[in-house]
Amino acid sequence: MTLNEQEIEHLKEHIGHYPEPRAGAIYCLYFVQDKYGYIPRESMDEVGELTGLSPVQLDEIITFYTLLRRRPVGRNLIRVCTNISCHTRGAKEVLAAAQEQSGVPLGEISEDGSVTVLPSICLGLCDRAPAALVNDDEVLGELTPDKIRDEMARYVSQAMNSTEASANGRLIATLKPQSQEPK
Amino acid sequence: MEPILSRNFDQKTPLDLAGFRDRGGYASLNNILGRPRDELLQEVKDSGLRGCGGAGFPTGVKWGFLAKDAPHPVYLVINLDESEPGSCKDRQILYRDPHTIIEGVIASAYVLDADKAFVFVRGEYRSGAEGLEKAVQEAREAGYLGKNILGSGYSLDIDVHLSAGRYICGEETALLNALEGRRGNPRSKPPFPIVSGLWGQPTVVNNVETVSHVPYILTKGADWFKGQGINGGTGTHIYQVSGCVNKPGTFELPMGTTARELIYEHAGGLREGRELVAFQPGGTSTPFMLPEHLDIPLTWDGPSSVGSRLGTGGLIVMDDSICPIDYLINVVDFYAMESCGFCTPCRDGLPYLVHVMKKFEEGTATDKDLALVEELCDTIFPSTHCAHAPGAVMPVQGALKQFRHVFEAHIKNQCCTLQGGQ
Repeated sequence: MTLNEQEIEHLKEHIGHYPEPRAGAIYCLYFVQDKYGYIPRESMDEVGELTGLSPVQLDEIITFYTLLRRRPVGRNLIRVCTNISCHTRGAKEVLAAAQEQSGVPLGEISEDGSVTVLPSICLGLCDRAPAALVNDDEVLGELTPDKIRDEMARYVSQAMNSTEASANGRLIATLKPQSQEPK
Repeated sequence: MEPILSRNFDQKTPLDLAGFRDRGGYASLNNILGRPRDELLQEVKDSGLRGCGGAGFPTGVKWGFLAKDAPHPVYLVINLDESEPGSCKDRQILYRDPHTIIEGVIASAYVLDADKAFVFVRGEYRSGAEGLEKAVQEAREAGYLGKNILGSGYSLDIDVHLSAGRYICGEETALLNALEGRRGNPRSKPPFPIVSGLWGQPTVVNNVETVSHVPYILTKGADWFKGQGINGGTGTHIYQVSGCVNKPGTFELPMGTTARELIYEHAGGLREGRELVAFQPGGTSTPFMLPEHLDIPLTWDGPSSVGSRLGTGGLIVMDDSICPIDYLINVVDFYAMESCGFCTPCRDGLPYLVHVMKKFEEGTATDKDLALVEELCDTIFPSTHCAHAPGAVMPVQGALKQFRHVFEAHIKNQCCTLQGGQ
């Protein structure tokens, strides 16, 4: 079990907004992802029961939508926009600096668990280009390679001060990707 | 011009219900609810309001397609998935004045006699969606939503639906699939959503900016709205300028404002020492306009007169620090990554187009590659299920005419003298 009774009731209530339960799938998947930082296999069974979808059908959804993930990420997921408005203002250099600072290839979790860096499609922040979005809600705008390095250094120090909660209060299961799949 | 959609953008934080009402918000509903729907629909038709999401189809005409005996429930879906690079104008309304959206949704839904409205918000605007949800709750508690709104006998509720990314979900039928909890693949038309949309019911899909205009058209009148435009334009429009300018930003201005005014007055002009090479008038799917087009009014018809489109009205500016081919590679790569994968020409053709164009930047392109780029565009454009791939190749087709000399110079010199960025 990854969801408690109260959470299941909450999800049932939301699914009831729609004429068909499968329309609530994205909401349920987000809910699980917020709780664990990703969508574990066991949660897919539970979401499947709520929405009437098989794990394969849920995987079909998860693999289509960019913001849903089956694998864990660091405490801070940094999406750097690489599209044209940001590209004309140096996004390539910002992304390279962010990757270098993370110390690991794009999409992987840094050694200390503090960050994962991903390139992103247009984030809707063209007026603040080059821009990045952290944990789906913190906007970093007018970035330079130095500025993104400084921001990331801040996340590292936050990671050192916290082992349980992520910067925005969302609970992350563990830090090590290899031990994150619930038994 | 009287700013309407941005009238509360002077506030540091979005207005709550009380603040919004203090500034006249929701007052329009007293004048709208209860009036004959035919009369209101005619007013929208007379205003010349057109879909602000990029297509520019006349809103009143679209609404008129809804059958008078359409089976209920009728759904109104608000498209807030704007994911096209350079086109994030609706974000401003969502984040800075969510009650304006709700007022627009209620007025529009009343005209359509819709039973329920969904606001479909792209996943990247999560905190904006949370703010909108909060505003919906305030409106519900105040009796602007729910059963028998303001004693008019009309009932409506709004659901805020947070999506999870993917550009294609902005296409209206892909959006419906996404809202139903499926992959966002576009559906075949016909049937059109207005006949059979969400869960097989009649569904009207409108852009956020479009519906946000409606309460003010219905209270101030079609003539007032038309009078807000200049140079043949109708109403106001939220334009955005991004790319190689000093002050990128979003501006509500009269429809018909020229690119010259937008770029040089509102967006602070080009960076020092740089020259304008081209601009896309409304997102990455719109063909380039050139410096000689700066004085063309940005109306629905203006850019069309030179082979482009107004699109969303989100200008992207390219100066002489950027190689046009590098620019195009970035644009087509976006579409290649965001293809839903349903059609082979889009799924496989766009990555191949990126591959061939990269040869120009790497200095390995030959005349055959130039011919191949043309052939690929001509093959991909008419061969797909939806407008995603045509949107990707249209700027390339334009550039093959406008910047052919640049392609040829890359072949001749076997290199690119300008690399993208900075």
